[in-house]
Amino acid sequence: MADNCITCHVAIVGSGFAGSLIANELRRKGVTVAILEAGPGVQPNINDYMRRFYGASAKVPESPYPPEMIDQNGQTVDPASVAAGRPTALTLSQSNWQDTLKAYLDQTTDEPNKKTRPFKSTYERLAGGTSHWMGLTPRLVPNDFRMKTTYGKGQADFPFSDWPISYDTVSPWYEKAEAELGVSADADEQRFAGITFSTPGYTYPMPRIPQSLFDRRVGAALAQLNEAETKFLGTATPVTALTVRSLPAARNSQPYRNRRACAGNTSCIPICPIQAKYDATITLNEATNNGAQLIHHAVASEILVENGSVSGIKYIKYGEKSGSKAGENCVIKAKIYVIAANGIETPRLLLMSRNQIAKGVANSSDMVGRNLMDHPQYLTWGLLPDPVFPYRGPLVTSAIGDLCDGAFRRQRAAFRISLGNEAWSAVVGGVGGDPQVTTLDFINGTNASGLNKKDFTQLPDNSALFGANLTQTLGNLISRQFRIAFAVEQSPDPNNRVTLSSVKDGLNLPRPRIAYDVSDYTKRGIAAAFRMKKLIFSKLGATDFTNVAPSDPGRFDETIDRNVEQLTYGGAGHLMGTYRMGDDPKTSVVDSWLRSHDHPNLYLVGSGTFPTVGTANPTLTLSALALRTADRIVEVLPSFE
Amino acid sequence: MRHRRQRSVRGATPFVQASVVTRRVMVAGAVATTAVAAVLPLATAAYAADPATDMIAFLLLSEALTGVSRQTLAPELVEDKNEILNSDPGVDPINIKNTYFKWIGDHDPTSSFGKLLQLAKDNRQSLGNIIPKVNGSADDMVCLARSIVLLWYLGSWYEPDDLKNKVASPRVKVVSPRAYTQGLVWRVAGAHPMGYSNLQFGYWSRDPRDPSSPGLFDPSKT
Repeated sequence: MADNCITCHVAIVGSGFAGSLIANELRRKGVTVAILEAGPGVQPNINDYMRRFYGASAKVPESPYPPEMIDQNGQTVDPASVAAGRPTALTLSQSNWQDTLKAYLDQTTDEPNKKTRPFKSTYERLAGGTSHWMGLTPRLVPNDFRMKTTYGKGQADFPFSDWPISYDTVSPWYEKAEAELGVSADADEQRFAGITFSTPGYTYPMPRIPQSLFDRRVGAALAQLNEAETKFLGTATPVTALTVRSLPAARNSQPYRNRRACAGNTSCIPICPIQAKYDATITLNEATNNGAQLIHHAVASEILVENGSVSGIKYIKYGEKSGSKAGENCVIKAKIYVIAANGIETPRLLLMSRNQIAKGVANSSDMVGRNLMDHPQYLTWGLLPDPVFPYRGPLVTSAIGDLCDGAFRRQRAAFRISLGNEAWSAVVGGVGGDPQVTTLDFINGTNASGLNKKDFTQLPDNSALFGANLTQTLGNLISRQFRIAFAVEQSPDPNNRVTLSSVKDGLNLPRPRIAYDVSDYTKRGIAAAFRMKKLIFSKLGATDFTNVAPSDPGRFDETIDRNVEQLTYGGAGHLMGTYRMGDDPKTSVVDSWLRSHDHPNLYLVGSGTFPTVGTANPTLTLSALALRTADRIVEVLPSFE
Repeated sequence: MRHRRQRSVRGATPFVQASVVTRRVMVAGAVATTAVAAVLPLATAAYAADPATDMIAFLLLSEALTGVSRQTLAPELVEDKNEILNSDPGVDPINIKNTYFKWIGDHDPTSSFGKLLQLAKDNRQSLGNIIPKVNGSADDMVCLARSIVLLWYLGSWYEPDDLKNKVASPRVKVVSPRAYTQGLVWRVAGAHPMGYSNLQFGYWSRDPRDPSSPGLFDPSKT
């Protein structure tokens, strides 16, 4: 047993953003730290990941990263044979998403008649966590922290609660997180929807990322809007204030902390070839260089509790290759324990720890695993009358953020509008996304893209082209493609839930089971996004190619302007809400320090703590909260000696 | 002669060596013979009777079908003014033409590749005839031609049979990480492969047609 035991001041499960930031802060203060990472450790360089990305026939978020969930022949790998598996984009198809022989997440339902929808987001399990993130770092706005107080008056069934902390409490920690991640943005441009900065004269670490040609095109389109046609938005923001703003991003606009400025490789998701985009391995390496111990290929399997406090964490160490069932049982012992394993794996671990407490660790409220949220994305795409040259620059450089808050939030979900620089690569149906789909269409005379029609080419429908006709047609059409995404606030729903499945992974641990749906409140937000899309497209003079596949299990109908419209949502990769923070131990899992109400030496960090999610990408907020928690741990650690 | 053969066998010859080889050895078609022979799947390729000229024929065919100049497809190509088929295809650091030539030979279950090469040879004086003649050929030849163009455009191999049957989700494979980075479609669209750019910070805020920008790719430029 002695050989299997690790002892340290603070044990952390998970080496993603939150885990790495906390480890690094603690090491700076001389606290001994060990981190359990379920997947592989940090690689000597990213060359192997780049090769995997270049060689992948679909450049999906998981494409650079191990373990393989699709084999050499393109067949799905049975997740029961993988030690630390994960959900992937390629296992979300209509035929796969409820098949537990193909998909890691169990999304089956016991009640055949109950409508259930797919949870479409994915994550990684390796050192550095979800490095496939886009790198966008907007802040939540003040009203995101007080939804019930601001918009819930007189609404008994308003599903939102307030956070136990305010924007002003988090604000200084936002600044610290922006320094650590290296955020490029312009403070003056970001003063909207109540955003203020706690340091007078605050400037972001780097200047903002320049706007793309498409960003400017949309800016010009917004300038044509009038009050009457935007009335449906129900916002007090004057129409003249609806502008395109550069998005804060953890993307270097100049050399920063020994990393290069962005060179516009247009592959932020899934991987930046020059690490101009921050990922958590940067902080993790600093922590390990400074003495933090990283134990990779180590899956936490049970949190042990004695006299109300956590006394150790059992983990299984497995071989380098996934699929090994042979695991060595080990225990890590510490004064304080931090679980930073994301919004699905953290509740899974808490619920798996049921030998001593039947409901699972930290779960006296019965809230662990509940209120799973994402930012459902309404994805739209179209063709402009003339070129804006996409596939150049970061995937997203700008957004329309001003619609993220307003009185309409009493009735419908808010959204943020991000402008894509990656054309139809992630939206068009067909093999491998674009430009593959459009290219195949014009070489083989098909029309999966919708573009191979006389209206757009002055050529016969379904033309199969060679030579100059081909170069001119593809050059002309692809350079005019664009996409716009509406990230919608999801309302918390206790029935959207992570539980334990009866199906197991390669280490014989129960896999996560997911129940998920989208509320009417959220659907109304998607419907408003649909109307805003129509308006923006008309001002752009764009042809709309947005469509919803009949087989899409997320599809739903809404009557909008007397027409029945088919709508759906995509996953944003934001795993939130499943161990919510609050002041009341009966209705929340952690307090504002992210400490378990039940166990004084257990902290649960990450976006699983968000009781409501606003519309901002969660990484900056979870990073700010992690830094705040690290500070707190240093403060309270002596009392655990 | 033997010296040259050994270098050419390695497909991805280092640049310095490659340029030494290609610049010096331009005297005769006989020399180019060995260079191409080295990359041919000799055992299976019925069309390899005259392998030296096959690589040049491949480049002529590819130029006609892709609409992108042969000098772009084979940057170290040194042309023989008297007889194009005697040209030296050259060896460049990426040498994607050799990868593709071998791949097509290995993956053509019909004898269409040989026929397409012959068609290119026969029309070497009037490349404009190649497209109509390919379009007038048997389905197997047309679909292999389309797979070849897809290879150049995307670095991926689409099964010709699936193209022929207009399968909604054709079998497709990225030939190699390097092949992906050489895809022409990105350049045709004024862009670069996602994840593979040698441009500088901020370029995306400028119109590529702007005089201060690198300019748009001209497929016909030699």
